[in-house]
Amino acid sequence: MTLTDFPVFAFSAIACWATGSLLQILVRRYPAVRYPSYAVMLAGTAFIVWFIVSYWITLERPPLRTLGETRLWYAALIPAVGFLVEYRWKIGWLKYYCMVLAAFFLGINLAHPDVFDKALMPALQSVWFIPHVVVYLVGYVLLAASSAAAWHNIYSGFRSKTELLGYSLSHYLALLGFVLLTFGLVFGALWAKEAWGHYWTWDPKETWAFISWLAYLGYLHLSANGTGRNKLQWYLALSFLVLLVCWFGVNYMPSAQNSVHSYQPD
Amino acid sequence: MNGWSGDIRSYRLSSLVTVCIAAAGFVLQYIAQGQGVGMLSWPFNALFLAVFAAFIVLLGAGFRTNGFVLWLGGIPFGLSLIFAIAFLSLLGGVIPQGISSGSILSERLGLSRIFSGWPFSLVVFFFLCNLGLSVVWKIIPFRLANLQFMLFHGGFWIALASGLAGASDLQRVIIPVYEGHENSRAYIPQENRIVQLPFSVYLDDFSIEEYAPQIVLYDPDNDRVMQGEVTGGTEVSKGYRAVWPGFAVTVQDYLPHALPDSSGIPRPAEGEKGIPYAKIRITSGGKSIERWLNTGSPFIKPGVVQLDRFYLVMFPGSPKVFRSGVVLSGSSGRRIAELEVNKPVTYEGWKLYQMGYDEKAGRWSQLSLIEAVSDPWLPAVYCGFFMIMAGNAMFFWKGMKRERV
Repeated sequence: MTLTDFPVFAFSAIACWATGSLLQILVRRYPAVRYPSYAVMLAGTAFIVWFIVSYWITLERPPLRTLGETRLWYAALIPAVGFLVEYRWKIGWLKYYCMVLAAFFLGINLAHPDVFDKALMPALQSVWFIPHVVVYLVGYVLLAASSAAAWHNIYSGFRSKTELLGYSLSHYLALLGFVLLTFGLVFGALWAKEAWGHYWTWDPKETWAFISWLAYLGYLHLSANGTGRNKLQWYLALSFLVLLVCWFGVNYMPSAQNSVHSYQPD
Repeated sequence: MNGWSGDIRSYRLSSLVTVCIAAAGFVLQYIAQGQGVGMLSWPFNALFLAVFAAFIVLLGAGFRTNGFVLWLGGIPFGLSLIFAIAFLSLLGGVIPQGISSGSILSERLGLSRIFSGWPFSLVVFFFLCNLGLSVVWKIIPFRLANLQFMLFHGGFWIALASGLAGASDLQRVIIPVYEGHENSRAYIPQENRIVQLPFSVYLDDFSIEEYAPQIVLYDPDNDRVMQGEVTGGTEVSKGYRAVWPGFAVTVQDYLPHALPDSSGIPRPAEGEKGIPYAKIRITSGGKSIERWLNTGSPFIKPGVVQLDRFYLVMFPGSPKVFRSGVVLSGSSGRRIAELEVNKPVTYEGWKLYQMGYDEKAGRWSQLSLIEAVSDPWLPAVYCGFFMIMAGNAMFFWKGMKRERV
């Protein structure tokens, strides 16, 4: 499967998520719609997973090299986190934010198609490649979900409809996301020692990953020291912006000229 | 909790002190004319670290009810320092590092060398005090319930402190070596200095494997390449088809390693010497022609096809693997080894890395650049890393175990 097939899969996924969400509105009046609506939403994610798997096979390498390729994974994983949160903790609203976010990522890929390129430079041919990138991927996904939950809490706060459950949700998602950022950072350091000779060189992406890690480290300490809930929601909602800079913004920084983390095709 | 920490007064004081520390760092940096902090090297760095650690243990264990010590090791000061480190890293993450900006003020403030400058060093020093005290308080008295805290915070302290203290003992040198030659001298790029190594490297063979080449349309007027829409196959090989507006290209035959014979017709050749050749059919408006393309080499002119003002060219693929077959000789005897990216070899306390080659010569490079790294503090740093990961795994487990959020 090559990128020419991507639009079909992307639009199918978005259509499934939209249809499933609309069906949810009917659930209250027609409870029988409940399961079909979940099936349709899950089918949306399945389309993306299907595309990733067959694209991986065609590329003969994991599609984890370019930002465009990683966005495919976010589009698959973010809704998955939303569904899991609902399954485990019975919180239904998070999945809508997640699906919108995923559709947004697919939209970026539709607007800026990647170039089909099988090449994986020697530095990336390492046993660390998949663990390092996947741990970060899942970490970013959880923190994106945490930020979505925080925005939801802020919004509910304005409408004086605060829910205790919502606050705990943003907190635990941030906590798990932080754990994965830590693993990603340490895996990256161990890999860097094998590939580039030193575990830490203040490469711009490294520096920004460190700043994002500090931001969430700050969150955990503020939270442990009893900072007010509402302030923490703002903090979480905005911390994600730092993460976004690390994720996409670094490539545009003046400091990024010599980064070992630019794997974009020229 | 003591009255000092946790309340708003403590945060204000902490922020004020942190700002003063960073400001003092910039003043020192300015006075030092932009020179970085001179670090002690072995054995004085180890001695300093031991005294520093002992001082923190004594301070934490002996004065744990003292208001000042409680503040020094408390969360508000820790948070202020975290934000200060984040802010300084932000400067380092935006301003290009290691490249002189040309502005005198920025140079004197060390903005292009943030991570070796005074402000960063001072803030990290106080951060280590703060973190160290918090660890001491969790270790004494020892409770198993605090294990996760000890591992994560203790590991962070060990990794950070030994990484910084050991920075001056880290040696990174580059050994350039030509095929069929031996070299025991290396240069240090940052210092522009040549050093003698305790061992020598003989380069037996340097080789590169490449990915499949790419057929693209080159527009010389605008100096840009246009990729066609691929409609058959995924990489250049027999049957590959790509379409550009107005014409299509089909690969009729593909020879990954070939050389022209006396009449100019490409014949399969030995892997090392041959270059990729592709016989293509160009179809446009019912008419078609057949031509050979090749990627070219230092000895063979690239085979291209001119189409109006454009050229159809075949680019060589990017390197897939590059490796050096070397013989290492030193006091521990001779050793044959193969160096590849991501596969360093350890020899007499040095780690040897395949770093680069003569990129202009590409596959025909006779030169291999090998990096040699000696980092005696690495075990301590790794000990910290593994403690962090253990603490982190426990943290994850606790977070996942919650039945209700």
